[in-house]
Amino acid sequence: MRRLLTVFVLIAGLPFSIAGQELRVPNKPDSVKFAVIGDAGTGSSAQKGIAKEMATWRTRFPFTFVVMAGDNMYGGERPRDFQKKFEIPYKPLLDANVKFYAALGNHDDAALQRNYKPFNMNGERFYTFKPKDGVRFFALDSNYVDKTQLEWLDKQLAASGSEWKIMFFHHPLYSSGETHGSAELQRDLLEPLFVKHGVNLVLTGHEHFYERLKPQKGIQYFIIGNSAKLRKGDLSKSGLTLFGTDREYSFMLMEISGDELFFQTINERGQTIDTGSVRRVGKVEPAPGRTTQPVVPQARPTPAQPGPRQPESKSTPSK
Amino acid sequence: MKVSHLLTVALLTAACGGDPAPDRSTYEASEPAATPAATTGEAAEPFSPAPDPAEKGPQISSAPPAPLVAPEARAKGVNPHAAILADFKERVDAYMKVRKDAIKDAPPLKETSDVTKIKAAQDGMAAQIRAARPNAKQGDVLTPEIAAQFRRLLYPELKGDDGRDAKEILKDDAPSAASIPFKVNAKYPDGAPVPTVPANLLLNLPTLPEPLQFKIIGRHLILLDEDADVIVDYTLNVIR
Repeated sequence: MRRLLTVFVLIAGLPFSIAGQELRVPNKPDSVKFAVIGDAGTGSSAQKGIAKEMATWRTRFPFTFVVMAGDNMYGGERPRDFQKKFEIPYKPLLDANVKFYAALGNHDDAALQRNYKPFNMNGERFYTFKPKDGVRFFALDSNYVDKTQLEWLDKQLAASGSEWKIMFFHHPLYSSGETHGSAELQRDLLEPLFVKHGVNLVLTGHEHFYERLKPQKGIQYFIIGNSAKLRKGDLSKSGLTLFGTDREYSFMLMEISGDELFFQTINERGQTIDTGSVRRVGKVEPAPGRTTQPVVPQARPTPAQPGPRQPESKSTPSK
Repeated sequence: MKVSHLLTVALLTAACGGDPAPDRSTYEASEPAATPAATTGEAAEPFSPAPDPAEKGPQISSAPPAPLVAPEARAKGVNPHAAILADFKERVDAYMKVRKDAIKDAPPLKETSDVTKIKAAQDGMAAQIRAARPNAKQGDVLTPEIAAQFRRLLYPELKGDDGRDAKEILKDDAPSAASIPFKVNAKYPDGAPVPTVPANLLLNLPTLPEPLQFKIIGRHLILLDEDADVIVDYTLNVIR
């Protein structure tokens, strides 16, 4: 009887399981496609599991680069650690010429990682790159927000024009985490620049969970610090939270097409745990003295998905 | 952001000056920037640090409290606080000059996929720097006067909500003070977390030329050469 029940449960769960593994981003031919991970450098089975899913999903969604939100290497940083905690887990992606762009976390040896070519930091602790016209990324060093970095960021953002402006760094400016919480001191310095220059999206880690936050001052924030580490019970959902989970490892797929950014967050079992899109409203042109941001991202679930799966839900399908 | 932060930054900028920030890399994803050409050089002898009073962990400094105002500055009638910060800049510049001369023949720290080469360049650079300043001692850069000035600059930022946040950050994933060698010319330990420096404290300290950085371990301040992972100087109990 128990066996029959198990079979029934498996059959009943199958459509949901398949549905959870559908690609929920449009996968348009000329879009910018990338993945996001954070706090990933453990060399653990969790990291390997996420890395394996990334490679699997890439066969359906050919992202060309990966953004790393810091803590890229926990513990030792000997040559064999770089193999164990980076080169081996992500070998299928590296072999497929997928580029990784790293930001520094508080566990990272800056001098080593800045100069480690596969991290594409070009020898710098903060840098910018443009994968395609109309989209620009900025990697910041949130461990050391000094005047030099702030001046650089102000100048680079002012010069970036009407592009999508995407920040990635380690410490979350907004967070519902019990252990760390919002990095308010960094926020005091960075947020005014983000608002002034019309930043659209901020990707961070540090908290070992996933959280999609309500847009703050017109900027969409994600925390994805659970690509190899989990701090279960640490996410205390707050007024900031749109969706979050501290019970699953995950990574994100992102796609930018025109004024819309689509995201799909996937756990270590290959199941979609969150999905939606962010629409950029209007165009931003550099203007001296701008104090408000005309670009207002609007996060919403994609039509294919009625809403994010709640991790505590009993009816959640599992693989 | 407090107005006092901005005023302090403006004062420090005026006092310390410094070269303009170098342009950072801006590049297309498909076009990695070229790396500089390699040069070769011989590695220096392994470093054998002299015994240090702080060898068994940081101790409370027994030095008498330093005067806040440099006597020379007082005699000349210049802004004493600016004079102390100007003195700090001179000492930092002197270190940077020694450093530049020391590493000119060392293998350059440059981008590579081979971590062994990065480590070797880093170690070679560190050895050359140590060899160039074998008699360097605690207080050469962070003199008692400068340390006292730093304490004075940081103290307001350690009060109130921002102060509480700053102290939380200093505890967050930070290494224990006992695990870090408070020793001039020592290596910052491999694998030890690098504590985040609270942004409000950082903006109240002088801007340093790269690759120098301030690090705060527990209550103590380290001046770190980040490329070489060498502790240039340290001062104890800057955080009250």
